[in-house]
Amino acid sequence: MVRFISPAWFVLVLVGFQSYSSQGQSLLDALDTEPTAHPVTATFKDTRVINMQSNETPGAGVLHFVIAHRFGRINEGAYSLWGLDNASMRMGFDYGLTDRWTLGVGRSTFQKTYEASMKGKLFVQKSDNSVPVSVTYYGVIMANGLRWQEPDRENLFSSRLSYVNQLIVTRKINDRTSLAVVPSFIHRNLVDITSKSHDQWTLGLGGRHKLTHRVSINSEYHFLVNGLDEATTNSLSLGVDIETGGHVFQLHITNSQGMFERAFLTETTGRWLDGDLFFGFNLSRVFS
Amino acid sequence: MKNTLTFLVLLLCSAVSTLDAQQFISRAGHVRFFSSTPLEDIEAETVQMSAILDAGKNGGFAFQIPILTFHFDKALMEEHFNESYLESEKHPRATFEGAILNWEDLNPTGDWQDVVASGNLNVHGVSQTRTIQGQMQFNAGSWEIRAQFDVLTADHEIRIPKMVRNQIAESITVYVDAVLTPR
Repeated sequence: MVRFISPAWFVLVLVGFQSYSSQGQSLLDALDTEPTAHPVTATFKDTRVINMQSNETPGAGVLHFVIAHRFGRINEGAYSLWGLDNASMRMGFDYGLTDRWTLGVGRSTFQKTYEASMKGKLFVQKSDNSVPVSVTYYGVIMANGLRWQEPDRENLFSSRLSYVNQLIVTRKINDRTSLAVVPSFIHRNLVDITSKSHDQWTLGLGGRHKLTHRVSINSEYHFLVNGLDEATTNSLSLGVDIETGGHVFQLHITNSQGMFERAFLTETTGRWLDGDLFFGFNLSRVFS
Repeated sequence: MKNTLTFLVLLLCSAVSTLDAQQFISRAGHVRFFSSTPLEDIEAETVQMSAILDAGKNGGFAFQIPILTFHFDKALMEEHFNESYLESEKHPRATFEGAILNWEDLNPTGDWQDVVASGNLNVHGVSQTRTIQGQMQFNAGSWEIRAQFDVLTADHEIRIPKMVRNQIAESITVYVDAVLTPR
C-alpha cells in the first residue's frame, strides 16, 4: 500500500497525464485568449437615420458630402407629378476632425437657411456591454437667410438664428437592428407671435433593420413635448438605405419637408392620413 | 532507495520531454494584406497576430488573427470589411493550423531557410487545406518566420457584389511575419 503512493508513482501518473493532455490539445488552444472588448461600429449606415442625426461620424480626415432633396406634396397629384415638380434641396459638408468629432456646414433652399454644426461621440458602445449605449452630442446653429419682411425697421442679425442641441443615445442591438433615442432642445431667438415659446423640447425615436448587408429599412418619429399647435404635426419618416461602396442612398417618405433640425422637429405640417407627405432622398459620398 | 532512483529517472525523463516539446510563441505578429485593381488599391494591417511553433512535434505550427484589429487607411473601408465581407462579429478570427513539413531539415542557424507549411487555413468560417511557402530563421534564441500567400475570396465564401467587383481583387495577397520567442 505504501509503495503505491510513493513519489515515483505519483510522478509517473503526473507525467502520463501531462503528455496525455498535451496530445489532446490543439496548438490553437494555446493561442486562445479572452476576446478583448472592442468599440461597436456601424450602428447606422450613415450620419443620419433619415432626417435626424445618427451616432455615426465620418472619421478623422474624411469629408462627408450629402445632397438631399424633398419633393413636393405627394397628394398634389398628377398635375405636379405627385410633388416631383417642386424640390427642396439641402447640401451639407461634414469634416471629421478626429474619429470622434466633426464640424459641418449646410445650406437648405427652405428659408434659405445656413447651418453650422458640431457633432461628437461622448461614449461609444462596447462589445462586452461595459458601455451599453453610444452617446453622441449634436449641436447646430441655423441662420434664416430670407430677406427681411420689413427692411425699414431695425432688424437684428440675431433674430435670424435658432439653435438645436441633441443627445443621440444609440444601441446596436444585434448585427441587423439598431435603435436611437434622441432628446432635443430647440431655441429660437425670434418667434412669429409673442405668445409662442422660444424654447421647445422633442423626444425622437429611430431605428434601422438590415435586410441584407447593403440594404436596411429605417424609421424615425419625433414627439413634441410642449404639445402641438393647430398647424403642426409630429414628424414621422420611413425609408430605405442602400449602400454602394462609397455612396449611401437613403430614400424615404416623410411628413417633414425641412431638412435641418429646427424645421423637421418643430415645423412639420404634413399629415400622414391625408397623404400629405414628401418623397425624398439623401445621397452621401465620402472623400478621404 | 530503488524508489528514489526511479523518481530521479522519471524526473529526468520529464525534463527531457519538456525540453523536447519546447514551444515558441508570438503575440505581436504582423499581417498585411493587399488588394490591387486598376481602380483601387486596398491595404490593411494588424500587429496582433498570435503564432505558435511546437519544436517537439514535427514542427507543429498555428496562427490566429483577430480580424477586427485590421486597420485600414479609410474608415469606411474598414467598416465594410468587417460588416459586409468578413462578417467579423460572426467570424472574429482567421486561423491556420498545421505543421512545417520540412521541420527536420531546418538548422538553427541565422540564415533564412525555405519552409513549407501545410494545414488548414480558416477565413470567414470556411476552412481550406493549404500548402504555404515561407521562410524561417533562428536568431538570438527565437524563430523568425515570414510568408506571403494568396487568399481567394471565393474559396472562403466572401461574397463581393458585382457593383464593386472591379474595385476589390478576387485574390488577396497576404504577408505575415513574426518573431516567436521561447514560451
